[in-house]
Amino acid sequence: MLDNQSTHTPIDVGDGAAIPHKNDAGLFTAWRIAFFGSIVLCLFLAFGRPDQYMAIFKFVPDGILITFKVTLGAIVLAIMFGLIAGLGRISSNRIINGTASLYVEVIRGIPLLVQLFYIYYALGRFVKIPDMLSAIIAMAFCYGAYMAEIFRAGIQSIPKGQMEAALSLGMSRQQAMRQVILPQAFKVVLPPIGNEFIALLKDSSLVSILAVSDLLRRGREYASETFNYFETYTVIALIYLIMTLFFSKLISLMEERLNDGR
Amino acid sequence: MKIFRLLPVAALLVASLSAIAIAAPKSIKVATDATWPPMEMVDANKKIVGYDIDFLNAVAKEAGVTVEFKNTAWDGIFAGLDSGKYDAIISSVTITNERKAKYDFTDAYTSIGQILVVPKTDRTSKTIADLKGKKVGSQIGTTGAMEVKKVAGVESKTYDEIGLAFEDMAAGRISGVVCDEPVAAHFALKKKEYKEKFKIVGKSFTKEGYGIVVKKGNKELVALLNKGIKAVKAKKLDAKIHAQWVK
Repeated sequence: MLDNQSTHTPIDVGDGAAIPHKNDAGLFTAWRIAFFGSIVLCLFLAFGRPDQYMAIFKFVPDGILITFKVTLGAIVLAIMFGLIAGLGRISSNRIINGTASLYVEVIRGIPLLVQLFYIYYALGRFVKIPDMLSAIIAMAFCYGAYMAEIFRAGIQSIPKGQMEAALSLGMSRQQAMRQVILPQAFKVVLPPIGNEFIALLKDSSLVSILAVSDLLRRGREYASETFNYFETYTVIALIYLIMTLFFSKLISLMEERLNDGR
Repeated sequence: MKIFRLLPVAALLVASLSAIAIAAPKSIKVATDATWPPMEMVDANKKIVGYDIDFLNAVAKEAGVTVEFKNTAWDGIFAGLDSGKYDAIISSVTITNERKAKYDFTDAYTSIGQILVVPKTDRTSKTIADLKGKKVGSQIGTTGAMEVKKVAGVESKTYDEIGLAFEDMAAGRISGVVCDEPVAAHFALKKKEYKEKFKIVGKSFTKEGYGIVVKKGNKELVALLNKGIKAVKAKKLDAKIHAQWVK
């Protein structure tokens, strides 16, 4: 039915920051105001009010690095978990399908915060995993379930005729999936994966409860010793904002290039 | 006749009602982070109990006020005082110069020190400095965390609750925990799961006094609480409470 329509059925998984629309071409877009505004504000605070703020900017950078490490590690693992589980969700094998569906249902039903505690402390009793790695695994395990749904939707958005055509050309199902369906599906799933990446970047602040010294933890350590709560959390919020806005722009540029290349 | 018989009852009722109205004690709201056994913790009935709780109740009784406890996370407990969510904090707060610059303290009501806890398998470490190149845990924003950070070469890891630090040491992720001596004793000597795994090394290496914290400039409350603390100490009630919770 949909075969003659565009192969790129947009899938809508709204979770991450608003990605600026490319039609939004005015000089004063919300993105520009927020992004450059927060950079200017940071510079003003650091150099205009050095007594209160400079020390905070000096205290937190290693936390930013940890936040990146956790986010990147988790997204790579989550894409792997998601692809496997997403393929499992469309498998006609009952056991594989059932296992993948169970994973998605269970994980999506438990709050991320609870999962983090669970994987970190509960599993810590049986296996020795270093702190940062277990934080990354916990995040990836959770996001993998959401990723699985994105991959499932992405693969199913490729018209059935494509698979039938590939099979009639003598390809095996696996070959068709790898060489025909997945390459097209990846284009479709890229924007929602970008969204998930930004959501994950923000949610990575939750690992601070696991004593992982990420950006938020560093801020809390600083605030709890100097009692400058307002100043500290102003800086932490601005840094997160700059990071998410930067990456949302990057993702929208990537998306544009993909569409141009079509 | 019947009316006469009821008269004394009525008189008693009026008297007691007015007594309540006149002597209605002032109530103060006090924050505590009840994750610091045996000083303050939540018992099986979800009640906040511990040394600090009994101590402050005794102080309040002597000072003629009542106390309403509020369980508050340590990280941000001072911010809540700033914003007026409660009148005071009793939560094993060490009196330090940094804190005194921002808040007012009562007289010190008990003295303790920081101490190091390590796994039993560690036979050599005696001080934090012996753990160079390793991770040492403590609760965020405590004097214990400040002591760990002072030692160059040791990686400081801060936790929201001290219990989580001990759990992480049980899982082998960190090599030591620094906290107040009574708390260390509670976790390393009393707790079943940890007794075989951990040991306290050396003696406490700081001298600290706990004080009750109030908002800067609240002289009235400081005076009231100090009066209560003096009375409790004069009656030696604090030794009794100490014996009940700490030893």
